[in-house]
Amino acid sequence: MSPCNDKQYDVVIVGGGISGAMIAKQLGLAGKRVLIVEAGAPLPVNNNADLERFYKSVVKVPEAPYTPEIVDPPGSTTPSNPNLQNTPRPTSSVLSADDWQNPNASMLIQKGPLPFSSTYERVAGGTTRHWLGTSLRFLPSDFEMAKVYPALNWPNWPLTYDDLVPWYGRAEHEMGVSADKNDQAYLGMTFPADYEYAMPKILQSLLDDTLSQGVAGMQLFDQPVTVTSTPQGRNSRPYQSRRVCAGNTNCIPICPIEAKYDATVTLKQALNTGNVDILYQTVATEILIDTASGQVTQINCVQYDTQTGDKSGECSVAGTIFVVAAHAIETPKLLLMSNKQIAAGIANRSGLVGKNLMDHPIYLAWALMPEPVFPYRGPLSTSGIESLRDGPFRKDRAAFRIEIGNEGWNFPISDPYTTTLDFINGTNHSNLNPQNRQLFGADLVAALNHNFVRQFRLGFLMEQEPETSNYIVPSPEYTDHLGIPRPEIHYNLSDYTKRGFVAAKQAADAIFNKLGATQFTSQPDPNNPSYFEIDGEAFTFFGAGHIVGTYTMGTDPSSSVVQATQKTWDHDNLYLVGSGVFPTVTTANPTLTITAMALLAADAIKQDLG
Amino acid sequence: MSNTQDVANFVALSAILTGIAADKLAPNVDPINIKQTYFDTTQQEAGQPFQQMLAQYSTLKSAGKSDDQIATAILHGSGNAIGNTARSIMALWYLGGWYPSDGSAPHVVSSNAYTQGWSWRVAQAHPMGFSQLRYGYWTSVPPTLKDFVGNGG
Repeated sequence: MSPCNDKQYDVVIVGGGISGAMIAKQLGLAGKRVLIVEAGAPLPVNNNADLERFYKSVVKVPEAPYTPEIVDPPGSTTPSNPNLQNTPRPTSSVLSADDWQNPNASMLIQKGPLPFSSTYERVAGGTTRHWLGTSLRFLPSDFEMAKVYPALNWPNWPLTYDDLVPWYGRAEHEMGVSADKNDQAYLGMTFPADYEYAMPKILQSLLDDTLSQGVAGMQLFDQPVTVTSTPQGRNSRPYQSRRVCAGNTNCIPICPIEAKYDATVTLKQALNTGNVDILYQTVATEILIDTASGQVTQINCVQYDTQTGDKSGECSVAGTIFVVAAHAIETPKLLLMSNKQIAAGIANRSGLVGKNLMDHPIYLAWALMPEPVFPYRGPLSTSGIESLRDGPFRKDRAAFRIEIGNEGWNFPISDPYTTTLDFINGTNHSNLNPQNRQLFGADLVAALNHNFVRQFRLGFLMEQEPETSNYIVPSPEYTDHLGIPRPEIHYNLSDYTKRGFVAAKQAADAIFNKLGATQFTSQPDPNNPSYFEIDGEAFTFFGAGHIVGTYTMGTDPSSSVVQATQKTWDHDNLYLVGSGVFPTVTTANPTLTITAMALLAADAIKQDLG
Repeated sequence: MSNTQDVANFVALSAILTGIAADKLAPNVDPINIKQTYFDTTQQEAGQPFQQMLAQYSTLKSAGKSDDQIATAILHGSGNAIGNTARSIMALWYLGGWYPSDGSAPHVVSSNAYTQGWSWRVAQAHPMGFSQLRYGYWTSVPPTLKDFVGNGG
């Protein structure tokens, strides 16, 4: 296969998301020659087209602004057919009973028993294009579950919180995280005396204040219930030539003014070093090795010009060191597809490539406050309850953090749409119109206002147990339009994880009760694919978009795929980065730690290159 | 095609139905001119019942009927076609999309239609992804409902 271009590279990176961009920038600054291979669409000049797609979408899910179109035709509600797209990706609009196992609607081939409910983007900038911006550090205990809770038999991380502290600091400045370190020094987290976050913390919402006062003195599971401002990758001051947050309440799916960090920022900085090239619309299909040395020699790719057109060519890329940064589903898929030279696939001596797929399944609860809290204003989330992320209960059931949402009931019931239509048409999908009133004029305004200004929701992000029975393999049956196998997912929640939902429900009920709030959390629908029962109670769950754990790092080649540097055990010029290296999903959103680990890997690669 | 009087009647009836003041729906200086977009959308989607609704509005208005009487007659006393068209018009102003009365899939009329949506303003907020406010505004109580919708609020 002929080379994609005739230049020589020190490092080839598959994937132009946050990990790839961070590594490319560091290496580019160090004078190394880097090539990024990106499957999806190029960096946009600005976000106008994405914003327009968002405004005109009926289905305003996280994937709506980005390409390829999630609906066909554009503006409709009919899911695009992933068989016909060159870079299809999962979307949250096809998780219904009708669609989740329909290969003509769902890009993921979902084998169940429960649906994997998180999604990702395949464009330059990756899934940070639609991320929330939450930039929490993991707790010291998150890295040492085997030590703190040995009965669980979970793996430790091969590094500790203290090991990661300098990398967290660098990551927080690369991304531009707004926070106050004094607020973040809980559950054992420490900061160097001279350390400051990149910007002051984002101001907290009226809802945060009401909740904070309302739960004062409250205890749950022998822990205090404390509202803490969330470290966020959005600007409280001008930073990196980007504007200050204007509270568009739209961090997911798109910040109109790019006050929220995303990886396009770093990718542009990488390209501006002059040492980084990028090939767009180039999909890696196979990793080849020298069988004598085990070293990777080249990665084969296919290219396309248009999303639904035929492939335009095939070519290979080569360098001294290779990095796969295609996140926790596409990375193991590529490793396992590369099975001509080693039947088990690349980097798979442990047999763990693709295994231990995890997420933060979410328990969502919603209520009306007795008094207005004025939601639909400010960033989507400015605070959380972090004090329940660790405690003795963790030996028995999943821990969680509680994300406080500033967007009313948008997440739970797609408001303001649902309630507006209820009071116009006399329906009651919101449960706010039990008398099926059809209102007009001042009565309509008053009813809508009364409900909207009191709405709030809590999202409980559950720490999912690592299990090898949750895994991704290349589908033997279904391909995309380029003929590349689509991901086949096998996914379930363990009883340990499910018991976290019981505790989450207890916590939600207790918090709403303490606040005098009226709860509207709907009864779980047995027809919802995510429905499950545990301890006599029924639940449904959402995905958090936190795709974790399919090429875990560790200290033993028989029980992990990569080392702490994220170099594979099997191929000494191949690195795998991103949240796939996490041995456990922990109790916080992954992106800051993804970035810290990417910076750590960049340093190791620099040392390898000498 | 619309004439000026038809559009004026459309705005006046829309104000009665939505509860939002006519000069908020259609300000004197109105570069976005969403009223014309919505008039044209309704004409295209509803056609004859829309024309009948406008004619009935004129008749009721000339007869000196109150706003409540007009709204009740249009929504509940003029047959399903006219009542459903009126409810679609209300959803259009509130949400920026056309919601067919038969429950089939809605569509967003235009980006301006989304960013001019009234549901968020009735929440004393702004359409998600369309804030024209400044950093930190969310720490303060918003302007009153009356400031947003005109009328008594």
